[in-house]
Amino acid sequence: MTTDALAAAPAGLVRPRRAPRARAAAGWETGVGHALMVLLSLVCVFPVYWMIVTSLRPENAIFSNALWPDAASLENYAYALSAIPMGAMLVNTFVVATAVTAIQLLTGILAGYAFSRWRFPGAGALMAAVALTWLVPLQVVMIPNYLLVANLGLIDTLGALILPHVASAFAILLLAQAMRSFPREVIEAARMDGASHAHVLWQVVLPNLRGTLASLAILIFISTWNEYFWPLLLSRRPENSVVQIGLQMFVTAEGTAWGPLMAASTLASLPILAIYLVLQRQVISSFMKSGLR
Amino acid sequence: MTDAALPTAGPSGPRRAAPRRRGLSPSRRLYRAARPYLYLAPALVCFAVWIYEPLAQAFWLSFQQWNLLPTSPRTWVGWDNYRNILDLPQFWQALDNTWLYLLGLLPLAVALPLAVAIFTQDLPPRARNLYRALIFVPLIVPPVVAAAVWRWLLDPRYGVVNGWLEGLGLEPVRFLADPDWALWTITFITGWKLMGFATLILSAANASIDPSLIEAARLDGASRWRIVRDVRLPLLSPTILLLVMMVILLGAQWSFAYIHVLTEGGPLGATTNIYYLLWEFGFATLSVGWSSASAVILFLGFGVLAALIFRLKEKVSFHDD
Repeated sequence: MTTDALAAAPAGLVRPRRAPRARAAAGWETGVGHALMVLLSLVCVFPVYWMIVTSLRPENAIFSNALWPDAASLENYAYALSAIPMGAMLVNTFVVATAVTAIQLLTGILAGYAFSRWRFPGAGALMAAVALTWLVPLQVVMIPNYLLVANLGLIDTLGALILPHVASAFAILLLAQAMRSFPREVIEAARMDGASHAHVLWQVVLPNLRGTLASLAILIFISTWNEYFWPLLLSRRPENSVVQIGLQMFVTAEGTAWGPLMAASTLASLPILAIYLVLQRQVISSFMKSGLR
Repeated sequence: MTDAALPTAGPSGPRRAAPRRRGLSPSRRLYRAARPYLYLAPALVCFAVWIYEPLAQAFWLSFQQWNLLPTSPRTWVGWDNYRNILDLPQFWQALDNTWLYLLGLLPLAVALPLAVAIFTQDLPPRARNLYRALIFVPLIVPPVVAAAVWRWLLDPRYGVVNGWLEGLGLEPVRFLADPDWALWTITFITGWKLMGFATLILSAANASIDPSLIEAARLDGASRWRIVRDVRLPLLSPTILLLVMMVILLGAQWSFAYIHVLTEGGPLGATTNIYYLLWEFGFATLSVGWSSASAVILFLGFGVLAALIFRLKEKVSFHDD
């Protein structure tokens, strides 16, 4: 990432010129910096570690506060899988998150292309209408949306979890921005050769936006996987719902069966943690983009 | 933002180019004019159906009395819902709690990350990458999982945190059941999710400050703290305001999952914030009018707040370069 290069530069430039006492002070400060970061890292990671450790403890050792487990067992997982339809819910969540990711990318690509390529009456107003959607919290529109889903007969179905997420302002704005910075000459050349807009979009522009598309896909997938509020409104039976709802039902029903609860929690976050382990840098940079715009 | 879109629409823009092309049939010309809207249609239809029409409907429902059952009648009650809500102690308690959540989140999600970002700017890149990977974890953990895990960590009898407190000779704390603690516990969990993210954003902004500015200040004999105060903080202020805006607009929303899973608004309404109250009105007590009226108040309030912060951000960003 570029930030590393930038961060390294001032230190390298400045250090040698410092007086010895200043250098000693800087060393002390670096020590404090490390200590701070280690502490912060522990606060951030320990709960996740403790979740996994607890989930692997056999029943008689659940209340142990030992930081390292003596014996590991999978009985908590077996119990969690039999107590709630965990398998079906994981599949449902996967289906919803994948569908939402694919559809949001598609609508984002089309809308982004329209905003970045053409001048048309109302473009500014439509762009504002897209950007302002994030000012409307889901809680404000939940009742009308619930009524709409009920009228469509979609309560307790996966379709209802996907439909409201067909488009997102974030995907549209990010892709419009990325496409705007795409070199115009390349597009013009392709158009001269008689390529249609569809051809330009799919064969010329998109292959060059793979990085942005991948970041966006990761971001959408993770936030859909983690979504809680909307499924909570619509779900009736656990086998038709997503894993977050199943976990919430588990907390309410067996809130103090800590071993199985931590096993269910681990299962519910496993795909996300797996993505993070494999694509860590990509994930971080996608979220950074979401915050930096 | 939209102005930048205009220059890219080069000679192929429909309005200027179309008439000059030879022998375009009317239907072809119509297609050219309609094309941008066709590309936009899927997204715009989605926003119209799921955001803007419901928003209008929420305004409409806020003047009615109804219990969400299709068979029961809707009655027009005018401003009654608003009057009743403003007379309701729970509403004011929820509003107060919303402010407390925000007040508690700002140090955790802005001030602490700012200090960490400034303190750690000179760390070697490898260590920085490791820390970065670790402090990022809470952000991607599903909120319900975070709620379950913290419930276990903070359990009054068997939780590891109370185990440590006991080890220090302190009394165990009922973090989620004690009205004096519950709101701050939820605030902490919400902040825990955001801390790492805010630190990364601020570190990136801090690292992109032009080193020659710092060097110039140093040559002028400025102390390290003066450099932080007079050079870094002003240059970081747009990013700081962005984070403040995110926390104010979204913070209370983010805590919904923790409130719902961990305390259900209790004990004695101590953790109910305005978003949770909306949910209770709508889906626990089935009073559509009250829920919609408080939704309208909430929407207008946060709209004004967003506009103010945005103004402020524009002002601060002015001396960016």
